Amino acid sequence: MTWDHFKKTVNVVTMAFEVEMRQNLTDGFVLFGILLQPLIIAFMALWMLKEKGPDYSIFVVVGSGMTGLWTTLLFQGGNSITGERWNGTLEPLVGSPSSLQVIVFGKVLANISQSLFSMVVCYSIISFVIGYPLVIVDPMLFLISLVFSIFAYVCFGLLIASLFILIRDIGRMINTLEFPVYILCGFLFPITMLPGWTTPFSYLLSPYWAAQALHGAASGSATPAQLLMYWGLLLGFSVIYVVASRWLYRVILYKARVDASLDTEG
Amino acid sequence: MNAIEINDLKRVYKTTIGLIRRKIKEVVAVDGISFDVREGELFGLLGPNGAGKTTTVKMLTTLLIPTGGSATIQGLDVVKDADKVRPRIGFIFGGERGLYWRLSGLDNLRYFSTLYYVDPEVSKKRIPELIEMVGLTGREKEKVEGYSRGMRQRLHIARALLHDPQVLFLDEPTIGLDPIGARELRSAVLNLQSAKKTILLTTHYMFEADALCQRIAVINQGKIVALDTPEKLKETVCDLSVVEIEVFGIPPEYIDKIAQLNIVDSVAVENHDQRSVILVHTPNGPEAIPLLIEQLAGLKLGKIVTRQPTLEDAYVRLVGGAE
Repeated sequence: MTWDHFKKTVNVVTMAFEVEMRQNLTDGFVLFGILLQPLIIAFMALWMLKEKGPDYSIFVVVGSGMTGLWTTLLFQGGNSITGERWNGTLEPLVGSPSSLQVIVFGKVLANISQSLFSMVVCYSIISFVIGYPLVIVDPMLFLISLVFSIFAYVCFGLLIASLFILIRDIGRMINTLEFPVYILCGFLFPITMLPGWTTPFSYLLSPYWAAQALHGAASGSATPAQLLMYWGLLLGFSVIYVVASRWLYRVILYKARVDASLDTEG
Repeated sequence: MNAIEINDLKRVYKTTIGLIRRKIKEVVAVDGISFDVREGELFGLLGPNGAGKTTTVKMLTTLLIPTGGSATIQGLDVVKDADKVRPRIGFIFGGERGLYWRLSGLDNLRYFSTLYYVDPEVSKKRIPELIEMVGLTGREKEKVEGYSRGMRQRLHIARALLHDPQVLFLDEPTIGLDPIGARELRSAVLNLQSAKKTILLTTHYMFEADALCQRIAVINQGKIVALDTPEKLKETVCDLSVVEIEVFGIPPEYIDKIAQLNIVDSVAVENHDQRSVILVHTPNGPEAIPLLIEQLAGLKLGKIVTRQPTLEDAYVRLVGGAE
C-alpha cells in the first residue's frame, strides 16, 4: 500500500465513521441499545449479585458495558448493511472505487465508539447515584485492554457485516446470537458456571478474551502475564478476522453481484 | 475505441419456487444484446417496463455479473477490470433511493466525494459548483428527507458527477418527476452532453429519447429490436399513417377484430378516464376509416383523426404495444 492510498483509506474510514455517527444519533433504537439496555442489564445484575457486595459492582459495570458493545456490534454493525440495502445506497457504495471492507470498518468503529458511552453512563450512575465505589485497580492496563478489545470487536464486526451482504434476511437469524454470546463470553457471570462442554466455544470468541482482559485489569485479578496473553489472543483473533474478512468480502461481493442481492429491488 | 462496447451480453435471474420440491425458475432479463456507444455520444436505451434496461445498466456499472457475453467501458472489461472501471463511470438509478435521507445534501456529496477519492481541495471547489449546477444552492444544508422528488433526483446527478467521470449511466432519471422537474433535468442532461460526456440514458418516454439522444436502441423482452437515430427510426413507420379513433368504452374483442384486418399494421389503445383512443397504424390512411368504423358498430365514437407517425408510433410498432 502506497502512502497516498493509505491516506485515502484513512479518509474513507474517517468519513464513514462520521456519517454513521450522524445517522445513529437520530435513531431511537440505537440510543436504546447504547443507553437504556446496558443500564437495565446493570441494575438487574446488581440486584442479582447484591450479596457479593459493592466490590462486585465494577465487574457489573464492565460486563454490562460489554453487553452494550456486543448488542451494538451485532445489530448496528450488521444491520448497517441491511439499512444500506433498503436505502438503495449499498449499490452506490459497492460501485464506488473504495473498498466496502474499509467503509464497513469505519461504520463499525463508529458503532463501537458510541457504545463505549454506555459503559461511561453505567459507571457514572452506579458511582454517583447508587454510591457504590467503582475502582479500576490498574487504569493503564485497563485502557490498553480496552484498545485491544475495541480493535478485536471492530474486526469481528467486519466478519459479521459480510454475512449481511450475502444473506438479505440474516437479521432475523442473528437476533438469536445476542444472549448466547453474553453468556458464553462471561460478560456478567464467570463461564465456570456453565457446563464444561461450552468452554471451547467461549475460547473461540474474541469478546470472551476482551471480557477476561477488561475484568482482569479492572479488578486487578489478572497477572501481567495473563493480560499479555489476553492482548496477544485479541490481536491474533483480530488479524485472523481481518484476513478472513478480506477474502470473504471478495467472494461474497462477487456472489452478491451474481445473485443480484445488492439491492432489495434486484 | 468506443466508450462502451457490448457484445452478446446476457443476464439470467434464477428464483426458486415451492417449499419442499424446490424448482429453479430462470428469467432471461437480457438476451444477447450487442451495441456500441461512441465517445461523447448521448445514447438512449428505450423500452417498456421489464424490457431489461436497468439490468443492462447494472451490468455495465459493475453491479451485476453477466451470465454471458462481454462489455467494456473505455476498453476495460466490466467484470475482470471492475476496480478500474468504477472510477471512470458515474451512475444514477431512477427513484428516490440511493441517498442518505437523514443527512444533508451537502453531507451526502462530501461522503461520496471521499468514497471516490476526490482530492479534498478539489472537492471543496467542485461540490459548490455541482450544487449550483443542479439548482440546489441555498438548500444544500437541509436534510434530504425534506427535499422534493425532483431535488433528490438532481442531487443524484450531482453525486454521479463528483469525480468528473467520462462515462455516465442515467437510468430513468426523470421517472416520477413533475413536468417542470423533468424539463429541468433534461436540460441538465443536455449540458452534460455539451461537456463531452458519454451518456447512456434509459427511458420509456419517447419524447425524452427523441429530444435528447443522438442514437436510440429499442429493447424489448431482453433483445434489441431496433437501433438507429430518432429520425431513421421514425422512417420505419413513414409508409404508415395513424388513425386515432376516440371511443367511449371498448370491449377487447373489438380491438382483436381491428387487428385482424389486412389493412392494419398494428393497433394500440390509450385509456383516458371515460374515453379511450384507438391508434391504428395503416398504410391506407384516411381510406381505412370506413372499414374501421364498420368494425366498431354499436359503440359510441368521438373524434376521428388521421396523422403522420411519430417516434412513439415507431416504438409501438417495434415493441408490439408491450406497455
